[in-house]
Amino acid sequence: MKTKLATITRNKKGQPVSTEQTVVAETLRIGRGADCKLHLSDPRISLFHAEIICGVDEISYIEARGGAISVDGSLERAATLKVGQRILIGPFELIVLPAQKDANLALSVELIDPLKDDLEEVKSHVRAGLKSTWLSKRTFSWIAAVAVLLVFLAWPVLSALDRGHGKTVEKTAFAADASWDVGPLSTAHASFGSNCSSCHQQPFVHVTNGACEECHKKIGWHFALETKEAKALHTSVFGDTRCSSCHRDHKGPLGLVRTDSGLCTDCHQNLKSRHPQTGVADVAEFSKDHPPFKVSMLLPGKTGADAIVRIAQDDKKRLIEASGLKFPHDVHMSPKGLRGPDGIAHMECKNCHVNDETGIRFKPVTMGEHCQSCHLLEFEPKATTRQVPHGKVADVIYTLQEYYAQAALTDAPIDVVLEDGIKRPGQRTGETRREAALVWANTKADKITRELFEVRVCFACHEIKRGEANADPSTRWLVAPIAVTQHWLPKARFPHSRHDTYKCSSCHDIAKSKKSADIAIPDIKNCRECHGGNVTTKDKAPGTCETCHGFHTGSPKAGVPAIVPGGNQPKLLPKTVTINTTRSEQPAPTLANRAGGAPQ
Amino acid sequence: MRHRTILEYRDYRYLKLAVLVVLAVIFAYGWYKYPLGHYGGSPLGYTLGTIGALLILWLMWLGVQKRRYRTTGNIKGWLSAHVYLGASLVIIVTLHAGFQVGWNVHTLAYVLMMIVIASGFYGVYTYLRFPVLMTENLAEDTLESLTLKIADIDRETRRLALGMSDEVNRAVLASIQETHIGGGVYAQLRAKVSDCPTTAAVKLIRARSGTVKGDDARKHQDLYGMMLRKERLVARARADIRYKAIMDIWLFFHVPLSVALIAALVAHIVAVFFYW
Repeated sequence: MKTKLATITRNKKGQPVSTEQTVVAETLRIGRGADCKLHLSDPRISLFHAEIICGVDEISYIEARGGAISVDGSLERAATLKVGQRILIGPFELIVLPAQKDANLALSVELIDPLKDDLEEVKSHVRAGLKSTWLSKRTFSWIAAVAVLLVFLAWPVLSALDRGHGKTVEKTAFAADASWDVGPLSTAHASFGSNCSSCHQQPFVHVTNGACEECHKKIGWHFALETKEAKALHTSVFGDTRCSSCHRDHKGPLGLVRTDSGLCTDCHQNLKSRHPQTGVADVAEFSKDHPPFKVSMLLPGKTGADAIVRIAQDDKKRLIEASGLKFPHDVHMSPKGLRGPDGIAHMECKNCHVNDETGIRFKPVTMGEHCQSCHLLEFEPKATTRQVPHGKVADVIYTLQEYYAQAALTDAPIDVVLEDGIKRPGQRTGETRREAALVWANTKADKITRELFEVRVCFACHEIKRGEANADPSTRWLVAPIAVTQHWLPKARFPHSRHDTYKCSSCHDIAKSKKSADIAIPDIKNCRECHGGNVTTKDKAPGTCETCHGFHTGSPKAGVPAIVPGGNQPKLLPKTVTINTTRSEQPAPTLANRAGGAPQ
Repeated sequence: MRHRTILEYRDYRYLKLAVLVVLAVIFAYGWYKYPLGHYGGSPLGYTLGTIGALLILWLMWLGVQKRRYRTTGNIKGWLSAHVYLGASLVIIVTLHAGFQVGWNVHTLAYVLMMIVIASGFYGVYTYLRFPVLMTENLAEDTLESLTLKIADIDRETRRLALGMSDEVNRAVLASIQETHIGGGVYAQLRAKVSDCPTTAAVKLIRARSGTVKGDDARKHQDLYGMMLRKERLVARARADIRYKAIMDIWLFFHVPLSVALIAALVAHIVAVFFYW
């Protein structure tokens, strides 16, 4: 077989340059192998890629051997060669040319897909540096910043500026500005906490006092602002102090109230420098630098502001209660017991001192409830069902006169001694003896009245002086006015229920008290046995200012007596004072071990 | 003279400054008693918050500075200050918050800051560790020179393989045309390619070497030697890309999270004063 081969290359201008050669062989082997007559030196060509064979009928055909061939665009195992046919062998293009003389076949051969330069090839497979990847600091930065600003700034701001925000929150129970919440609200505020604008009413403006006072209507300032001086003092001391200066919310369930001593001692350890007229002693700390307690004692026969006197507990000479009553604690609390209507009775503190509903203090001791079961107001031994009324002197006199007149005239169970003999119980008094009987009755009533007011019954408990003998019955005896102090330490809070693990006598020393003039309110030393100062120690309970005192003492509406600047006396001591304290939530104390307190 | 790292810059000047700042802040925190306790809203809290925010802005500004060629001052000094004062933020901002955290934008800013600082610490670690490994790996070469050497080998092996079996020739061609160095994020970081055509070619040639004799055996031996060299060069090039990627990857967290931190900081400050 004789084949004419035209090998085509390209010059610099891209024009084809043909180099012709004639190959004579039995068959035309095509490949990169040395034995191939059509030698195609390219790694993409197999050693023996294909073969062209000339048939007996002079028709040539091509067959694939070690590699693939494409004839006119389709992969073929074998094909008959026709003029103009385009055969691809790897990167080479063979075109069947028109037959020439003295040759079986004419072909052009051109490398149409040369290999890349080796360096270019390697470089095309090298990809270094993260910048060449999809990672992009700029894109990530934009995404992250925009996401944060949208979710945590724009959305909450738009939501907060929406006038219907509160309603939206109510409906959906979701607030976009929840992500701004710096911490859990106090228990009291938690219920409306999801609506920030309840308190934060204006953007970029501090929470106003008005926002607090919408609910806390009764709260007063530190002292009553009833005078010009008080208002001026308030301005100079507190200036622009806001509620939230002390009450900072979003600090958990218990974090709303400021309890540090500095709240008080910042001013009170040198109060005179701020307010020279003050009657309040300086105090720096409880355990070492606190003045003696002052008791607020009720004065007999006075009313209003004059009814109360404040006496320091170290002023022993003045520390005498003038209650108008006689009450020897030692007799009543004697371990031997007392003779009562049902035999010997052993009294306990709780028999008279009963806790009030708050567990803080005690209900008032009353004659009817606490005394009269023993101290019967009987006047006539033979008439045990009759007692004089516990009230006005005149009522007692009238009761006795009435009783004995009735006895003289009717069938009272007593002997009526007349001039002409004794009228025994059950005997009728005749008309002639009636006048004499009434004279007896008056004499008897006078005698018994005198006895009651000067010897027994009334006299047993009351301070009584004799008045004018023939005057109006109500002034014949002068019973001292009763002034039983109800609240001895109204400027402090002492919840008895919190101290019910102690016996009453631990604080109230009444075992040897013979007179009602004795005051058994414990002094500061007594408290200091258990309470330390500002710093909690292992062996002492805390004793900060807030342990006993409140701050908002400027309004009696708040439940504590108002403090008036310039004086240290309460304006008016209410009959029962309830102290506004959360401690009232404590479980009801056990009566059996309740500590004894001041008579209420 | 021994190479001084940014950490040792001017006898630890910025370490000393940072320690001083941190000690002052800790002392202030211990000394200052606020009735409502330590938190961001106390006078000390506001002070520390302002210091922290200004410090963050300054550190960010450094990032901008680094991108400019004409920077004021020594870039090494700036970087040293960036590392130490950035680290001091951990203490300053924790005390600013008074150890209070919650599910809110305020803690988001805090957490972002901590992640930025942690990624920065990782960056310092890579700065200290990987340049040494890179030098060990490259010796006197560069990635460019490795590429040139690989291209030379490719040329040689291609020629040599032309006269060898189709199987070997194909393996060599695959090694030339399909061996990737670097690539995507994962490929750059991993550096090991399980189906690397070069490794496959090395294995194949080694296997075929035993089956041929004479001139073929010599050719196989030559080709095997060249392909082994190429395999080693490819591994070094991949290792170099891996080290560079590790030294860079943290910045793709550090920088965007810093920007997110600025955004969170803005939201934090606006939120605080919006609901004052």
